[in-house]
Amino acid sequence: MPLWQVVVVLNLTFAVGLGLGYAGWGRRVDALEREVNADRARIERLERERAACANGAKAGELQWEGRGLVRAVYPRLLVITHEAIRGLLPARTTSFVAPATTSAPRVGDAVRFSLRGTAADDVAIVAIEKW
Amino acid sequence: MKALLFGAVWIHLASSVLLAGALFLLLLVGPTANATIRRWERSVVAWSRGLVLVAIVAGLVWLLARTAVFENRPAAALEPRALWRAALDTWPGLVWLARQGALVVLAALLWARVDVTARRDWTAARGQALGLAVLALGLASAASHAAAIGPGAAWAVAVDVSHVIATGLWVGGLPALARMLHAAGRDADAQACGKALGTARRFSHVALVAVLVLVGSGSASAVAQVGSVAALVGTTHGHLLLAKLALLTPILALAAVNRVRLLPAATAASAMRRLATFVTLEALLALAILAFAAAMTLTTPARHAEPVWPFPFRLTLDGLDDAAGRRVFAASQIGVAAVIALIGASILRRRRVPLIAGAGALIVVAATLGLPPLFVEAYPTSFRRPPVSYHATSIASGMAVYAEHCASCHGADGGRVTGADLTSRSIVRRHAGEIFWLVGRGIPERGMPAFEGRLTERARWDVINFVRALGAATAATTLGPRIRPDDAWLAAPDFTIAVGPLAPGALRDYRGRRIVLLVVYTLPGSRERVSALARSYELLSILGVEIVAVPVRVTSHPIAELGAAPPVLFPVVTDGAAAIVATYGLFAPGPHTEVLIDRQGYVRAVWRDAALQADTSAVQAEVERLNAEKSPPPFPDDHVH
Repeated sequence: MPLWQVVVVLNLTFAVGLGLGYAGWGRRVDALEREVNADRARIERLERERAACANGAKAGELQWEGRGLVRAVYPRLLVITHEAIRGLLPARTTSFVAPATTSAPRVGDAVRFSLRGTAADDVAIVAIEKW
Repeated sequence: MKALLFGAVWIHLASSVLLAGALFLLLLVGPTANATIRRWERSVVAWSRGLVLVAIVAGLVWLLARTAVFENRPAAALEPRALWRAALDTWPGLVWLARQGALVVLAALLWARVDVTARRDWTAARGQALGLAVLALGLASAASHAAAIGPGAAWAVAVDVSHVIATGLWVGGLPALARMLHAAGRDADAQACGKALGTARRFSHVALVAVLVLVGSGSASAVAQVGSVAALVGTTHGHLLLAKLALLTPILALAAVNRVRLLPAATAASAMRRLATFVTLEALLALAILAFAAAMTLTTPARHAEPVWPFPFRLTLDGLDDAAGRRVFAASQIGVAAVIALIGASILRRRRVPLIAGAGALIVVAATLGLPPLFVEAYPTSFRRPPVSYHATSIASGMAVYAEHCASCHGADGGRVTGADLTSRSIVRRHAGEIFWLVGRGIPERGMPAFEGRLTERARWDVINFVRALGAATAATTLGPRIRPDDAWLAAPDFTIAVGPLAPGALRDYRGRRIVLLVVYTLPGSRERVSALARSYELLSILGVEIVAVPVRVTSHPIAELGAAPPVLFPVVTDGAAAIVATYGLFAPGPHTEVLIDRQGYVRAVWRDAALQADTSAVQAEVERLNAEKSPPPFPDDHVH
């Protein structure tokens, strides 16, 4: 085989190898990363379901924990400036439904609270205590 | 170990450059039947075989030395586990593997006894060798300073790749060219001389393009990695770049002489040998430049190093008063007239001498008139970047230090007692680094003591932040309750927004996102006003405003004291309020003041008696005017200048 053909074949092999390497391993790495993230989210969700079940929640309900500062108190409603609640809300000021049985905190109190529900617009405080 | 690392980098870089250039020149000459040129070709291939081995060995030494430096243990250079980590767990290590791989394949190709008598085989072998050499050379950029540039790393790497490849083709080709010219001149072979001269002419064209690429890519890299005159003249990296440029000048002069004088005249064997000697000189100087380039890769880029200003003066246009401004403007116009006279002299043949003499005289007059107002006394720390940001906490700390150590001479408000007026234009013109120098070293002839041993460095920077805030406060007296559209100039000092035990935020977190209305209040006088703001909070939020309330009197429950109705939902600072009150009190003193800070972080409006206002319509009107602005200024620097 003439040298020039060897060179062409070697370069083609190198280029095809790089392409196949990316197509195989590179895409596989991306897919694995997506899978890991999805599994992580699933684990978090299961942990919240377990926490909710432990406290007698209905099927499909999850439980989140938060910390914040009470800014306003209404009957059955608390406005809280809270830290980010992982998997539910970023750090901001939010109004939450609070059952009448919950011991009512005062404006300015720093509190820890548990939220139960299915989504950000469907959660209620189920437990609250001084932080 | 660092000397070993430098030596390895230099030898590796130089051998890689020479390799790429030699292989490029082989392709430029092409296959030939001439015996002299064939002998030269064999010698260049032999030279390339040696170079590739040197490059591989120097690369190995580089890995060993780098591992020792990386692990901070000389013994690590001989530990397989440490070498494994350096090669496989670091980006430079991976790039090294790829480069060494290309060099090993190239070595195999060069050392293999292949038959290249057929033209296609010859081209394939030489082309492949050049491709591998250029690949090994260009890959170096992937682990260079260029690759570490934040946004735009891909462009920076592309520019660096073009720089090193242009270097390889031009500088690397010089020794092989000199050897060819010498061989042709020595053998006095007419055909070989013709071939050598033809190659030299073609190489000269390539070199011209390579130099243009080098100048362009070098300038772009310098802007990205040096960034300022102070960094250029005040850092090791900058000094190395200047040394490179200083060596480049004689190289370019030699190249110009070779191209314009020697090459057209090189018909006789002796002239060719003289040309070969000059090309060799050019190559030797270029190798010295590569030493500086290698050293530059091992130093912190100038942009990130602390510059030490070497001159006792600097030039600045900042802070000129009206008279000086007029003087500089007049000088600039005289300078323009001098340039016009010079252009006229270059165009006109008659009266050239008087025109040039007139231009010279005008330049002298312009310099005499215009330069003195631009000169400012400078110190080694003139361009030092303050390590402490322009933050309310620092300003408040500086205020306390100032009251204890400075106010007796400079006055409580910076206006003089016996010392300098700190709010004067001459002080405002000073860089923060210069004030730092003067505070530390003192001015004995004016009776100012040195505070280097009496105040910590942090305390001195705090005082400088306070002095800057004092100057800003003097200027801020012109700010009122109405914004001046598109006229943002007063940077708002940053402050921490700590609300209870929640994670604290900062004013700068709102940059680019929200307008901030800073409300400094005192109860009970401010209660009505705070209630009005609480009622309007939703509307103001929709307009893009965040309200941050700061109590003048610090109590244990500031949020509870504001009451439950109407609910106050905006942040109320519970920790660190005193620093904010002290700092913003410089701009707008009083029991209740409101400061409107735009999205870029500039103070735009100040209400000094806002507690008297029953509604928030005035704030809303100014916010709407801010929202209507079309050309926001850049974000202010977080550090004073």
